[in-house]
Amino acid sequence: MAVVAPINLILLSLFIFMVYMKLRPTPPVAYPKSKPTVFRTFTPRTLLPFNGIGDCPVYLAVNGRVFDVSAGRNFYGPGGPYANFAGRDASRGLACGSFDEGMLTKDLDGPLDTLQGLGAEEMDALRGWEERFQEKYLVVGKLVPAGSPEAEAAGR
Amino acid sequence: MAGDNIVQQIDTYLTELLGGWNIYTTAIVVVILTFLLYSLFTPHDPDTHPVLLARQSSVSPVRLPGESAVYRSPEITYGHSLRAGLGVKEPGAPKWAAGKDGDLRDVWRQTVRGAIGDSGEPTGKTGSILTVLGKERILEHRLDEVSRQINIIGQYIRQHNGQRIAIYLPNSIEFLTTVFGKSTFHSSNDPLANQVGVVSATTFYGITPILIPCNLPVETLIHTLQKTKPDFLIAAAGGLPLTDIVRFYGGLKQVVWVVEEGSRHMDWNEVPEGIGGQAGVGVWHEIVEEKKSTVGTALPDNTENESLKDLVVIWHGDKDDVGEVVEFTQENLVAGIAGIISSLPVNQRYNSSDLLLPVEPLSMVYPLALTFAALYSGASVVLNSAISQKTDLALATRSVSPTIVVASPEIITKSINKTRSEMTMGWHKLVYWFETRALTIGGRMPVASIFSSLFDYARPAIGEQPGKLRLLYVAERANTGCPPLDPVDLSDLRAFTGARVVYALTAARVAGAVCQTSIYDYRKDDARKGKHSHFGIPLSSVEVKVVDTPSHKITDEGDPTGEIVATGPAVAGRQAALGVIGTFRDDGTLAYV
Repeated sequence: MAVVAPINLILLSLFIFMVYMKLRPTPPVAYPKSKPTVFRTFTPRTLLPFNGIGDCPVYLAVNGRVFDVSAGRNFYGPGGPYANFAGRDASRGLACGSFDEGMLTKDLDGPLDTLQGLGAEEMDALRGWEERFQEKYLVVGKLVPAGSPEAEAAGR
Repeated sequence: MAGDNIVQQIDTYLTELLGGWNIYTTAIVVVILTFLLYSLFTPHDPDTHPVLLARQSSVSPVRLPGESAVYRSPEITYGHSLRAGLGVKEPGAPKWAAGKDGDLRDVWRQTVRGAIGDSGEPTGKTGSILTVLGKERILEHRLDEVSRQINIIGQYIRQHNGQRIAIYLPNSIEFLTTVFGKSTFHSSNDPLANQVGVVSATTFYGITPILIPCNLPVETLIHTLQKTKPDFLIAAAGGLPLTDIVRFYGGLKQVVWVVEEGSRHMDWNEVPEGIGGQAGVGVWHEIVEEKKSTVGTALPDNTENESLKDLVVIWHGDKDDVGEVVEFTQENLVAGIAGIISSLPVNQRYNSSDLLLPVEPLSMVYPLALTFAALYSGASVVLNSAISQKTDLALATRSVSPTIVVASPEIITKSINKTRSEMTMGWHKLVYWFETRALTIGGRMPVASIFSSLFDYARPAIGEQPGKLRLLYVAERANTGCPPLDPVDLSDLRAFTGARVVYALTAARVAGAVCQTSIYDYRKDDARKGKHSHFGIPLSSVEVKVVDTPSHKITDEGDPTGEIVATGPAVAGRQAALGVIGTFRDDGTLAYV
């Protein structure tokens, strides 16, 4: 039986192995997926925890819009030069170009900063900052005063 | 030495092994080498990279509570607005100039002029409009003659003060002429208006076309007319009991019959009894003949500050019900057309060598939008007036060789099942297995070879010459109980016809389609066997999201499931809920639950 000579068997099994490798189904590749952030209505108190400490994302509010500035953690995160703004309403600070504590609203349960007392130059600066933020960062929520009807509705 | 011994043993063993070389060994070695060479030298590249199929649509990074993220076509960069128009540019305008949105008149002007090439100049190649009469005859219509007919009919309607025309015609050149005719006739420069001396430069009135699906039972037709209130009716001669219609719906002022060539010797001008002075009757070919010498082929120019009229389409739900009456503005239509044109990859787009055959009535907005898209891109269109919802695909396409076909799921299912019933022998199944493998695992279209041509007699006969069909559009109509095409059906359709398939989700209030599959997506998802296959990604003129319903809530876990809502310039009324529950899968495609 020449056909079952050892070399034939070896070569035949090699051939079957090659065909199997070509025809076997490849396992499907899994690609990473990220979940979209839910748009939230924040009050000053609920915004406060988002200051980057731990693994928290860094949020700050400009003119009622809350931006996710985690990409700029070096600036806005803990230890950064503008860390004061993290988790706070930064509108007055950006308008006046100052990072003082005095620029932030003291009373977290009171009404939002109405930006009165700021001149046209400062409002221009604020608008410029807002545009830059819109181009660079994502809007993830809006800021309303504590106790307002929107805050009540969102809390429910 | 022990080492020497082992080496000697191996040496003896090898010599013994190779000494047994015989003819069978040579044969096996030849087979192995052929197999290796075949694997190395046949092309394995898939038509598109698998990563592109794994993440197809562009998802917004933020979502509102109670809704899912908004899914868009990747053609639209995040933050930019959706595609709203055709980008109509004057010939000779620089390539980078953003064009205007345009409207249906620009579609016709571009059809006559020929498509604009890459450089911004017209390529000079125009498409043509063909009509199939009966079995063998194909009539080609000259585009300037069609322009003349557009002018004639527009003037005729204006003469009789028509405001809303009901078009109750099958797919035919008269259908297209009337739809374009209503939109071109706005300027006051026409000689007729000057003669009559009535219309001043600031008075415009447009004409609203109402597209009524053909072959309705008389009662449904009467209800439709009562609901849409036309004052003009254009219909195929001989099919309508005009007396009954006028008795139940009194708003008709004028009726125009479109008479086929074989019946033109009869006198259709005769007003049936019982109508009296209510409605006048005209005959299309006589109107055209009369005015042929006086009316030119030049189309009126656009004028400032005109309000263009909407297109009214009837969305058929149940058989006996009138269905939903939807008014599409010109913006909706051009956004839908632009979305369809740009959904194809650049090297697969319509060009002057394409021939589109709609095997669905043009009174539905998706085949109509595809026809406009083909005309705008310089492709040719062939119209067959014998088409209805129940046509056989082979019969409808037998005298022409279309490269693009749009058909309904019912027709496609019939065609696939017929081919499957002929696949009885073992070698049929082998050819089928190889072709399906090339599609699903190889990611490329099966190549026609001697091996596959054994099966050719059983393939669906689309067109006179096999192998010309390159694109097949199948439209699922949301909420109408269309038969599902599951992934196996679509893959079989590709394997049997050798054409790429686009499965589209269309809805009542969306011009064009809501979603379309990528033409390179050949995947077969066995988990969805028996259910509708996924519909792909939204067109660039629409953005889609799913919203909470009482039965389905959107959470952060799993795939978002809810009622499908479409927004954008192609949607009538800007936003529309489709009334069906859908889900967005991992790859960003939309599917029914």
